Amino acid sequence: MLGQVLADNRPLIDVDNLKVHFPVRGKGLFGVGTGVVKAVDEVSFRIRAGETVGLVGESGSGKTTIGRAILRALTPTAGEIRFHLDGDVVRVDQLRGRALTRFRRHMQLIFQDPYASLNPRMTVRDIIAEPLECLGDTGGRAAIDERVREIAELCRLNVEHLRRFPHAFSGGQRQRICIARALVAGPKFVVCDESVAALDVSIQAGIINLLKDLQDATGVAYLFIAHDLSVVAQIAHRVAVLYVGQVVEMAETRDVFFGPLHPYTHALLSAVPTIEPESAFAPVTLAGEIPNPARPPSGCRFHTRCPYAEARCRAEVPQWREVAPEHFVACHFAGELPLARHG
Amino acid sequence: MTATAAAGTDSAGPILDVQGLTVTFRTDEGPVTAVESVDFRLDRGRTLGLVGESGSGKSVSTKALIKLLPKNAKIAEGARIGLRRKDGDWIDVATLPADSAAVRRLRGGEIAMIFQEPMASFSPVYTVGNQIMEAIRRHRGVGKREARTLAVEMLDQVGIANAALRVDQYPHELSGGMRQRAMIAVALSTRPAVLIADEPTTALDVTIQAQILKLMRALQDQVRMSMIFITHDMGVIARVADDIAVMYLGRIVERGPTRTVIADPKHPYTVGLLKAIPSMGKLERRLTPVPGDIPSPLERPTGCPFHTRCDRRMRGICDRHDPKADEVGAGHSVACHLFG
Repeated sequence: MLGQVLADNRPLIDVDNLKVHFPVRGKGLFGVGTGVVKAVDEVSFRIRAGETVGLVGESGSGKTTIGRAILRALTPTAGEIRFHLDGDVVRVDQLRGRALTRFRRHMQLIFQDPYASLNPRMTVRDIIAEPLECLGDTGGRAAIDERVREIAELCRLNVEHLRRFPHAFSGGQRQRICIARALVAGPKFVVCDESVAALDVSIQAGIINLLKDLQDATGVAYLFIAHDLSVVAQIAHRVAVLYVGQVVEMAETRDVFFGPLHPYTHALLSAVPTIEPESAFAPVTLAGEIPNPARPPSGCRFHTRCPYAEARCRAEVPQWREVAPEHFVACHFAGELPLARHG
Repeated sequence: MTATAAAGTDSAGPILDVQGLTVTFRTDEGPVTAVESVDFRLDRGRTLGLVGESGSGKSVSTKALIKLLPKNAKIAEGARIGLRRKDGDWIDVATLPADSAAVRRLRGGEIAMIFQEPMASFSPVYTVGNQIMEAIRRHRGVGKREARTLAVEMLDQVGIANAALRVDQYPHELSGGMRQRAMIAVALSTRPAVLIADEPTTALDVTIQAQILKLMRALQDQVRMSMIFITHDMGVIARVADDIAVMYLGRIVERGPTRTVIADPKHPYTVGLLKAIPSMGKLERRLTPVPGDIPSPLERPTGCPFHTRCDRRMRGICDRHDPKADEVGAGHSVACHLFG
């Protein structure tokens, strides 16, 4: 259940000091004036077995980059990614070649757009079976068929329709196909990158419920990336808030939403319009624009827009510290600011 | 109408009166009815929220108002799109040919539109200022220099810092939020009587969205403009609209004052939609999805369009007969057999 500490406290993935930097070429003919965009800079957090960590932040804050770095869809610049697997610790950041390919069965990705992520020329059965075939699962066609039917049923797909092509399915059904494909090889960890953002509200709720049920049934852990904070509130056990490539706050969902300690989290939450008439809509207006990650501000990266910024914030990088049990914040004044309880 | 209307000072009364709007698309798979018998009225200075999921006909029904439909679309005979022009005269837009000079004057001049994708709505090869000035010069009949002054003023008003500098920049030099604000500047620069905002904040971050919503409200109060706000986000609608109309498969299934509809929804679809919305305030609740899938527009259900997904459907009634809209409260009407 949400808001409760997971009984299962085993770590699954430790991300330690992760940095993903992208070199950019300047405007000159030969790339004069090259720079570096620090898309993800010194990010550390832990994902436990069977839990959902929500990753929120504005566009460009590095949400997707963190997800892809853990999956090794791109190579981190620095830092460690330790994957705990049956008592062993695998350094995902150091995997390469066949070892990496073999390891991919443990981690999968569900994309945003179910219309763009299914091959129209493949039947649903072949789409779902593809990960198994790529991973060279032996056991033959019958075994694969059996596994496909099993996962399709779990994802509430009509097994009679497995011979059809994706075009015959609606958006919600397509996303269930994508989920079945991601889970068919029995991964321990799945990144859901805006996986419900493209769906209509009446359909979205069903997919959120399905993801939760699948987690209960299989014990898979999710890194749930979304810009929609209400969706994250429904599915995540813990939430990490990103700002310009850094995590500024991380805690259990309830604590982040009802007792935010970082002024950025507070501003972000206040900007979400809700239908509840009793909660006043009084968004905190942040001054200026999101800083360019190629030239992040000195000290606390949020100081250029923070309503509480002081001289210390400009000069000194705030420590990442545990202010309350399981509640981590990077702010000099965490706990001292008059951040109203949300909701 | 009276002289006061011509001066734009009368504060109430309808400005837009749409009746029996049906839009059909010719497609390879057969005709698709995107909007069916839609009626709505918009009063001066008010905001009407159109809510609905994909394929509900929100965008098509508003694009029809300025004849901005693709060539294979047809507005059915008998539709009336009454618009009270700035000079006080009522015209029926439905009867005007889409490529007529009268419709061109209407677009931007009387009814302006903001689209979801600010990048796609600007031409990348002209400066932002150039594009605002074009609208101003066409609809307000002023010279180049004055248009430029007005353009800078507009950019300033929508909260773009350094407007005098930004006016000479190209769309790609502006951030997403700034581009959407510039788009609003273009739309408002002609002083339209009606602004249609089609998912204007959907592609933006919540922080920027909050800014834009606040800005649109302030500007609306300033110039007493009427607004049709299209979105699938009930939270946004709750914050901007005076009245809402809930659409499903091309029909308005429920309408009324926003607060009333949200607090006391009647149509099973509206009830379902509100239950399906995730909320930051209630963490432990399991979401209730609306069962089933949105039917393909090619396979429109007979009778009530929602009966295939409705948990309160009555066999023999809902699948056969079209429900008529019935008043269930002050200004609150529902098209559902349960309330017929």
